Amino acid sequence: MSVLAYLLLALLTIFNIFLFLSRRGRRRDSNQDGDGTGLGMSIPFGWDPLDSELSARIFDPEDADFVACETSRRDARQFRQGRTALALDWLREVRGQVNQLIRAHVRAVRGNASLKPADEIRLGFEFLLFQLTSGILYLVISACGPPRVAKLVGYSLELAGQLRMVTEDVLPADRQVAVELLEGKQEPKN
Amino acid sequence: MHGELKHEDVEAARRDLADRTLSKIRGDLARLIYLASMRDYNTGVYHHEGLACMFTESVAGKAIASCHRDVFRRLVLCSVKELVDQLELYARTNCSSSSELARVWANLQPYRVTVPLECSPLAGRFFVSNIKAALAILHSRQLRAHREPLSALPGP
Repeated sequence: MSVLAYLLLALLTIFNIFLFLSRRGRRRDSNQDGDGTGLGMSIPFGWDPLDSELSARIFDPEDADFVACETSRRDARQFRQGRTALALDWLREVRGQVNQLIRAHVRAVRGNASLKPADEIRLGFEFLLFQLTSGILYLVISACGPPRVAKLVGYSLELAGQLRMVTEDVLPADRQVAVELLEGKQEPKN
Repeated sequence: MHGELKHEDVEAARRDLADRTLSKIRGDLARLIYLASMRDYNTGVYHHEGLACMFTESVAGKAIASCHRDVFRRLVLCSVKELVDQLELYARTNCSSSSELARVWANLQPYRVTVPLECSPLAGRFFVSNIKAALAILHSRQLRAHREPLSALPGP
C-alpha cells in the first residue's frame, strides 16, 4: 500500500514539475523570439512537427558528435544548447497539436448520443500517457540534451499518432470536420 | 477544371526551371541562394522574367516558391557534415575561399533571408543553427590549417 502511495506521489510530483516547466516555457516563448532570427514571430506555422524526418534530425546525435570533433569546446557547447532549445520547442509544438486535437475532439463529441464510453476511456488513458511521457521527455531533454532521448521521442510520437487515429475512429463521420480542419492546417505545404 | 489546369501549368514551370536552370547550378546551397534571390524582400513574391513570359507571372511565382521549398527541405534534413561540404562547394564555385566565405557569412548572415516564407519557425531556426555550426567548423578548419605549417617549422 505504501509503495503505491509513493508511486502516486512520485507521478504527481513529476506531473507538477512538468506543468511548471511547460508553463514557464510558454511564457518565455511569448516574451522572446528564440535566437533572435525573427522567424519565430513572422513566419506562420507550416511544417508539421509530427514530421518524423525533422524530429529525427533534431534528436540525431551525429551532428553534435561531428561539431564536438571539429570545433572548439565553446562552439560545441553553444551548438548543444541550441539543439536543446530546439528540441524543447519541438516538444511544445507536438504537445500543442495533441492538446488542440483533444480539445477539438471534446467539442465534437459533446452531446453525441452514439458515444462509446470504452473508446473515450481508452483515449483519455492514452492522452494521460502521452502527457506523462512528454513531461518526462521535457525534463530529460532539459537535463541531458536531445541525443539521449531519441528512443523516448519515438515512443512519444507513436502515442501522438495513436491519439490522432483514436480521435478519428471515435468521431462520427459528420463530426470529423474539426479534426479534418486541424489536419489540413498541419499538412506540409510542399 | 481550371484549378487542375493551373496546377499542370505550375508543374510545367517547375520542370522548366529545374531542367534549364537549377540543374546547371552546383549544390543545393547555391540553388537555395539563387531561388531566394528571386524573391522580393517586401512582398515575398518571386519574379523571373523568362519564366513569366513562358507561363504567367503567378504561375512562375508559384513554381519558384515550390522549388524553393523543396531545396530548403532537402538542406534542412541534411547533416551538419553535408552542410559543410555544401558550403565548401559553394565557395569553390563562386571563386572564393572557404575562410573568406566563413568570415563574410558570419558577419552578414545572408543565409537568414534564404528561409522560405511558408516554412515553420522551428525548421527555420534549425537551418540557421546548422549553418552557423557549419561556418564555425569551416573557421576551425581554417585555423588548424594555418597552425599546422607553423608547427612544422623547425624550432630554434
